[in-house]
Amino acid sequence: MASDALRSQVAAKWQESFARLNRHEPGIAGLVRFSHAWNVALAVLRPRRLDELKEDVDIELVRSAFAVINGGRRLPFLLETFLEELKKRYWMVGKDVEEYMARFEQTENAEVIRDLVLRLVAWFKHWAPLPELRLGSTIYSAYTLSFQTHLFSIVPPSFATGFKALVSSTLSASASTTKSHGHDTDDPNAPIWQSFETLGLIDRYESIIATVGYEFIEHHVLDTCTAEWSRPMLSELRDWMSEKVVPWMLLIYARGATNAEEARSMLQGVGSRFDFHINKTLCDLRTKEIFDIIIDFPESNGALMDLKDCLQRVDQRPALVKALRQANRKRLLHPGADTKLILSQYVATIKCLRIIDPPGVLLFKVADPIRRYLRDRPDTIRCIVANLVGDDSDSPDSLLDDTIDSTSGSGGGQITTTNPAHLIDDYSDPNWDPEPIDAGPEFRANKPQDVLSTLVSIYDSQDLFVKEVQILLAQRLLSIPILSNTTVEDTNGTTERIEKERRTLEILKLRFGEMALGVCEVMLKDMTDSKRIDSHIQNQLSLSSSSSTPPSSADINVVHPTIISHHFWPSSDPSAFSSLSNQHHHQQQQNQQQSSSSFMLPGQFKTLQSTYLSQFTKFKPDKTLRFLPNLGSVTLLIRFEDEREMEVQVGAIEAGVLELFNMKGEEEVEGDVENKEGAMLSLDELIQGLGGIDKGSVLKALLTWIDYGVLEEVEGREGMFRVLEVENDRKREGGGGGGGGGGEGEERTRQAVAAHVHAQESNLPPVVSAQQQQADQMRVYWKFIEGMLTNLGGLPIDRIQSMLRFAPGYDQSVDQLSMFLDAARREGVVVFREATQKNKKNIEHFVRPVKSQITTENLNSFFDHVVAIYLTGARGLSIFHAPTG
Amino acid sequence: MKVTIKHWHAVAQWRWDTGKSEPNSDDSEGDVCGICRVPFEGCCPTCKMPGDDCPLIWGECTHIFHMHCLLKWLGTAASKQQCPMDRRTWGMPTKFSLVAVPC
Ligand SMILES: [Zn+2]
Ligand SMILES: [Zn+2]
Ligand SMILES: [Zn+2]
Repeated sequence: MASDALRSQVAAKWQESFARLNRHEPGIAGLVRFSHAWNVALAVLRPRRLDELKEDVDIELVRSAFAVINGGRRLPFLLETFLEELKKRYWMVGKDVEEYMARFEQTENAEVIRDLVLRLVAWFKHWAPLPELRLGSTIYSAYTLSFQTHLFSIVPPSFATGFKALVSSTLSASASTTKSHGHDTDDPNAPIWQSFETLGLIDRYESIIATVGYEFIEHHVLDTCTAEWSRPMLSELRDWMSEKVVPWMLLIYARGATNAEEARSMLQGVGSRFDFHINKTLCDLRTKEIFDIIIDFPESNGALMDLKDCLQRVDQRPALVKALRQANRKRLLHPGADTKLILSQYVATIKCLRIIDPPGVLLFKVADPIRRYLRDRPDTIRCIVANLVGDDSDSPDSLLDDTIDSTSGSGGGQITTTNPAHLIDDYSDPNWDPEPIDAGPEFRANKPQDVLSTLVSIYDSQDLFVKEVQILLAQRLLSIPILSNTTVEDTNGTTERIEKERRTLEILKLRFGEMALGVCEVMLKDMTDSKRIDSHIQNQLSLSSSSSTPPSSADINVVHPTIISHHFWPSSDPSAFSSLSNQHHHQQQQNQQQSSSSFMLPGQFKTLQSTYLSQFTKFKPDKTLRFLPNLGSVTLLIRFEDEREMEVQVGAIEAGVLELFNMKGEEEVEGDVENKEGAMLSLDELIQGLGGIDKGSVLKALLTWIDYGVLEEVEGREGMFRVLEVENDRKREGGGGGGGGGGEGEERTRQAVAAHVHAQESNLPPVVSAQQQQADQMRVYWKFIEGMLTNLGGLPIDRIQSMLRFAPGYDQSVDQLSMFLDAARREGVVVFREATQKNKKNIEHFVRPVKSQITTENLNSFFDHVVAIYLTGARGLSIFHAPTG
Repeated sequence: MKVTIKHWHAVAQWRWDTGKSEPNSDDSEGDVCGICRVPFEGCCPTCKMPGDDCPLIWGECTHIFHMHCLLKWLGTAASKQQCPMDRRTWGMPTKFSLVAVPC
């Protein structure tokens, strides 16, 4: 029941509406006119099929119709009706979208999307209210919004993919058209971008567009910068960006800019995001490559400069530290890596990280595991010192390239590791900088140390180094023959070599201090004194022999001792000194330690020794000599029954062993003993004859002579050896050099003795043949080799050999290793390639692993092959020197 | 077989011939200077080079010292020109003289 009041209110409203639509015209004429106008307007706006042309409209008529509707304030209602109509008819657009997308999903061709976009633009334009009507922006934007909203609600997810591909193609197209500074309208892509804009795709897919830009940058960076470390790339990349990417960016990000100034400011934000992305991508790439960049240093200097710049924009320092630590753990700090290599990589790391990060925080974080690892390696000090004294023929670059420079730089440059004062911040230092924020609590901003100091500081004190320097110097000095140039031509450059050591010592004194290396001065003086004494004694002898003295004393001419000062050479520590004459100090240390006390040289040596001594005491009446029989070397001329002659240089124990056979032979001749075969001695006799030295040393010496084909073990009489007076009938194989080995018989002997040696060393009965042992041994070392090659990519054979030297018990020669690797090559486990120019310093070719081909199967056949090679005695076969592959 | 030694690069330590111990015996540590306690084959605290640069001196009493050590000792008032070991007046035996060999 409506009240009167309500009724009258409704009536009033009705009247009001009616009045508005009727516009106070008589009767309902106004209303009729409005209704007519409404129909005209709707007919004009009605969304129709694309092929359905709009009939010619009388603009004036339509305009007045709109005016009527507007007059009745019904325009919003008209718009609503229009949009309702649009929604109802949008299926026509939807059908197109469906059709094109189906085609795209089939062909994955971005051009389909381009067609679709053009089609959609056609729809959009077809349905848009006639611009001539000047209906005002409200209606246009309402239409645009509605059209786009419907569009976005119907496009399938694959549209984004297609759109991305299309955008991407516009970028490549933009980048490949090199334009002279043109306007953006010149760009072939301007129309399509206009279409994107029309459909609202740019705003809608903003992140996709940016992704396209980023990916384009990434692709280009990876393409141009990967493994390209020699020059900085960053500025080239920036040039590339402004030339190739910015024109494209202008289309998108500076659309609607009216002048260059405006465009520039519109590009600023996105431009710096893109520039950041260049930095980030390059930084990521270099981070990934950092280990190899360090290997390549200093050739990789450009990459380091880039990395430094990048790290200032992109905070990737933690990632860099993590990557490098990981790479080091995986590729460097493992048993297969040679200490020398670890050291040189460490030194390169120091140098590289100093470029990237001068305060040294990165280095501090990366170096720690390397230093801890090096500290635990037994030969680290030896390697550092060997490099220090230039005894490092394997590695062409000295660890200490910059040592001398930095010495002059920092004044004195003495190692200061033991002085804790320099670890404390000196706040009064005008150059003091606060520590970088990522410096941990343990970080100490070290005053820039030179490389050697850094290496020495791996250890708590430098005493170990000094000791090692002394031992190494002693080894090197004792290897210099004492040849006075008055008697023998100084072909070995005795003086020169001593002078070279003296120069090295001068450098070392700068580092370790005069005091620490004082004893080395004495060693050097002993060398020059020895030479002087030698030349004096030789002179005396030649004077006396030219007069009436019997010529027998001329024998003494062959003795040229190095006379050393007892307390100044590391001889007081026999274990340290024993390695002097030997590279394989691991095993032989013990032997020599035992033998050094009791070893005595027999026969001729004894005589020579005492004759020399008497000459010496004539010259230096207040002094006498104590010979150290197990040191030094002897050159022997061996003349056999069958007139063969052989000249060899051997160690003292080898010489002693052979002299015992020599003496035995003379005895037999004097005693008229009938012996058609060579002199024969038992192992025990030999041991006794040399003063009761240990069995191992004698066996080793015997092995040397068996290798030379001078001795053999008597068949059927274990522990009996005899001189091979007549060369074995069976053809000698290999023949090259002194170590040619003998025929089958000798080879058997060799095996037997090798087995002896083996038994001696490991206290195991000799069950396995020597060849089998070798092959088994190589199987163990293959693990090392595999590790090295896998981690280091490729290595020259010499390098592999020198690394293996540190594997426990490794005693293969380079040639044996070469043969082994050649077998590996033929089994397809490794490939050889000739050394590149860059690496041609002292190697022949590189061995590289063929990862994919290593299977258990071919590995086994490979080892069978190795065993076969050893069994057929293909020793000295130098297939290796003909480069393959 | 006949073995001829063509060249022998031997290694030997020099020792002062103090007439006491066999040069080739194992008594390798030898004697020390009674003044500085450094072995004779070492050198006195003021020297850097052993041997001819830092020679020994023999007393009548048969005590032996680094020459430099003894001279320094004799230079002190406390020495009263006596051997520091046995307090006998220091004298040089005629049979020994300092051997200085010009090289
Ligand atoms: Zn003294
Ligand atoms: Zn002195
Ligand atoms: Zn006395």
